[in-house]
Amino acid sequence: MKKTISNVLIYIVLILVSIIMLVPFAWMFLTAFKTTAETMQVDPFVIVPSVWQTQNFANVIQAMDFVRLYANTLAMVALRILFAVLTSTLAGYAFARLHFKGKNLMFTLVLVQMMIPVQIYVIPQYVMVSKMHLTNTVMGLVFPGLVSAFGTFLLRQAYMQLPRDLEEAAILDGCNIPQTFLYIMAPLTKSAMVALGIFTAVFAYKDLMWPMIVCPDNRATTLASALAKMNGQYQQKYPELMMAALISCVPMIIIYVIFQKQFIEGIATSGGKL
Amino acid sequence: MKKKTSTRQKSEFLWGWIFILPTMIGLAVLNFYPMIATVKQSFYKTGDFGKGNIYVGLENYNRVFGDTEVWQSLLNTVKYAVIEVPFSIIFALLLAVLLNKKLKGRDTFRTIFFLPMVVAPAAIAMVWKWLYNSNFGLINNVFHVNVKWISDPNLAIFSIAIIGIWSALGYNLVLFLAGLQEVPRDYYEAASLDGANGWAQLMHITVPLISPTIFFVLVTRVIGAMQVFDLIYMMIDLNNPAWKKTESLVFLFYKYSFDQSKKGYGATVVVVLLVVIMILTVIQLIGQKKWVHYE
Amino acid sequence: MKKKALAMLLSVATVLSMAGCGASGAAPAADTGSEAAAPAAEAPAAEEEAEPTSIGSSVEGELTVTIWDEGQRPGLQQIVDEWSAQSGVKATIQVVDWNNYWTLLEAGATGGELPDVFWMHSNVAQKYMENDLLLDLTDRIAASDKIDMANYYDGIVKLYQSNGKQYAVPKDIDTIALWYNKTIFDEMGVAYPDDTWTWQDFADAAKKLTNDDHWGYAIAPGNNQEGYYNTIYSMGGYVISDDKKKSGMDDPKSIEAVKLFTDMIADGSCPDLATVSETAPNELLCAGKVAMSINGSWMLAGYRDNEYAAANCDVAVLPYTKDPSDRVSIYNGLGWAAAANGKNIDAAWSLIEYLGSKEAQIKQAELGVTMSAYMGTSDSWVNSVDCFDLNGHMKMLDSKLVFRPYSRNTTVWEDMMIEKLQDAWTGAKPVEDVCKEIAEEMNKDLAEE
Repeated sequence: MKKTISNVLIYIVLILVSIIMLVPFAWMFLTAFKTTAETMQVDPFVIVPSVWQTQNFANVIQAMDFVRLYANTLAMVALRILFAVLTSTLAGYAFARLHFKGKNLMFTLVLVQMMIPVQIYVIPQYVMVSKMHLTNTVMGLVFPGLVSAFGTFLLRQAYMQLPRDLEEAAILDGCNIPQTFLYIMAPLTKSAMVALGIFTAVFAYKDLMWPMIVCPDNRATTLASALAKMNGQYQQKYPELMMAALISCVPMIIIYVIFQKQFIEGIATSGGKL
Repeated sequence: MKKKTSTRQKSEFLWGWIFILPTMIGLAVLNFYPMIATVKQSFYKTGDFGKGNIYVGLENYNRVFGDTEVWQSLLNTVKYAVIEVPFSIIFALLLAVLLNKKLKGRDTFRTIFFLPMVVAPAAIAMVWKWLYNSNFGLINNVFHVNVKWISDPNLAIFSIAIIGIWSALGYNLVLFLAGLQEVPRDYYEAASLDGANGWAQLMHITVPLISPTIFFVLVTRVIGAMQVFDLIYMMIDLNNPAWKKTESLVFLFYKYSFDQSKKGYGATVVVVLLVVIMILTVIQLIGQKKWVHYE
Repeated sequence: MKKKALAMLLSVATVLSMAGCGASGAAPAADTGSEAAAPAAEAPAAEEEAEPTSIGSSVEGELTVTIWDEGQRPGLQQIVDEWSAQSGVKATIQVVDWNNYWTLLEAGATGGELPDVFWMHSNVAQKYMENDLLLDLTDRIAASDKIDMANYYDGIVKLYQSNGKQYAVPKDIDTIALWYNKTIFDEMGVAYPDDTWTWQDFADAAKKLTNDDHWGYAIAPGNNQEGYYNTIYSMGGYVISDDKKKSGMDDPKSIEAVKLFTDMIADGSCPDLATVSETAPNELLCAGKVAMSINGSWMLAGYRDNEYAAANCDVAVLPYTKDPSDRVSIYNGLGWAAAANGKNIDAAWSLIEYLGSKEAQIKQAELGVTMSAYMGTSDSWVNSVDCFDLNGHMKMLDSKLVFRPYSRNTTVWEDMMIEKLQDAWTGAKPVEDVCKEIAEEMNKDLAEE
């Protein structure tokens, strides 16, 4: 009996929180199909649009090339994941398992990078991209994500947790360092790599300042930045703004719901420990 | 034997550097050079378009200490962090404990709570801005109140912090859930037999055992919260009476560097932020000894 | 574990000290960044001499054209496409919103990569021209049979001059007028605004037009050109002295002009600052929440494309103060400029020449993009839409045109003014005090320029 009551309480709490989490999404959805006048009508307050304005969808699709924005975003995310995972795995392994002069100093630098506000880098990085004529390109978007201090740290933690004797056995078998790394150790950190991939994807996807600066061209930029720009451009068409937000969210939400197990487990395996 | 060790040492040295080289070169080019350039810039009064910079020594720093706008924005940033960080951690922890039980629909709840993480910040800001709108917003009209959520100077930064909590909750939650899974169930069973209630179990078993995770989340959330920019940038504009009371340090940096092209002074602001973050991180690193338990 | 924490602490300390010496040690290296921009800027001049390319030789090139107004893009793209058909050079327009536009340009100027062709604005034109970032068009204009500076409104032409050189070709001119909601006027039994209105009539009407559902007028506190600048000059005050050394915000007449609006907020005929900061006046007008809004002619596309506004709104001239001769429109005009170090400056010039030609300027007006800077073309603009009587805007061209106040670094004092005026709008401080504070601060900023 006691258990049932406590379970009911737990459900009430969980459902309440779920409502709070979902209301903004629901509101986005409902507003996206309203007229501007409806969004500002308060007496009576309009919750559900009286007529579903589907042409909002047509207007937004026409104004913004979502397919292209998605393609840009995906290309950027994919390349960033590739680079980050590749470089971080190598570095993470070296920092965790190899002994060499200068290691501590170098690792300190990695840790320091994690503490520095990214805004410090923005202008000089932009100048570099500009000099290489990479503005408005996917490589320009990828540029700051070629390496990842956070990823290096994450992978180092993962390698540290692997038992010593695996490596020793490999050495006895005559494996040299790259072989040990490639065949024995790296495959064991797959989950950490997935975690890093997910972190990279989420943060690259949400990044705003960099794509706004480096890819001002609406055809070359990412979803997040195109959307932020719309904010300033479509002032008197609030429902269309919400429609654009909705169109940008829905595919991400679908991807997330499909892969949510890997997604959440990926983040979870990062362990989240210093 | 000795010779073998030294071959091994040589090889480790060689491969160690080869392995870290891509990352270190990348960090040097992408992060350290820009950082130094920015720090250097903070000692200059910058001319137009990076030309004709004049070395002014510590003048920018002297100005920062007397600049009420900088102090106000530091205060704003701290206010934001003081709300966002603890609440997003406490709520996430409590929800994680609830979700750690065997419940029907557990995955669904987890999915819902994590949802804000996969949405572009611009979309989040847009919809919340409208929810908060004092005349036409859902919140005021459903509860029949008239609160100026984002234009009351005393309130706006907290309203924004609420969005911060809403956004970060799911992320923290997932990390805590992962931590909780490592806590052996029999600990709780033993505690139950001893008559410990849920609260006591939380405080005496759960929190200490997942304290390393809490620490990780705390450190990273504080760093993130101190750099808050996106939400404020998209919700508050110059017309807003709450403008001065919501400007964060990064926002100020953005304003000085880009809107007003005072890059030198903007760099100074961001160096101040760097120092603040480092101090906060060091304090946490010292403080952790008192409460973080590694196995 | 203690060890780990200690190690991290130490590492942090090390880095802190490193950052300290790194700053001085790396100084020469970091310097190259700024110096490199200079030769880059000179390069095109040399290039130009070396190969006097005709457009034909670089046909494969594609020009990037950058603007900040999405509403104008479709019309302008049409005009640009016509140029492409003639020249064989493709040009695409990208839109970057106002704030990011300047960030982008600033970064582009610093990094040496500006768009080929772009809009210039009075706020910063001087700075861009002085730094040789814009292509000097003087000789090209002299040689052109399409462009004659005498055909454009004088203030706009002068704006883009520095040291006797012309750096941009005028694109458009704007006027400010009074947009209003006919339906609300009918409902409240108030006569539509006309050219007999004084600013006092305007304030009185606003009071009558206010009820629980809507306000009489909504101020755009951040947009001086669509607001108090007009009344300041209409009432005989000024914002900045002609030599750009002194602020006029503490002039009693300027203060009076600001008061007109603070009084309206105080009596409730204009929504409070919180409301307009959360929902812009043009949004309020499009939702039938406000009877009048003062807007620039560039808003046409936005209102035309909004169903509600198209059905219910119209536009009239701005009121005057004592005599119709003091009816003022603060005007501004954008210019088409090219990057001095662009990859294809001949094509860029050819495009600008086309955009400034009578043909393209008429087209711009006809398409309802904006009023054109080419004198005598605004009739086409008035006829570009059926739903509004644009004579309201066009007649403002005959009023006292005052160029939008600017200096070398306008944004600095403009932002400061917007921030400080908040205390006046909310009533937290008397208008006199706020304006005096602004003048004091603004004088300091101007001295620094």
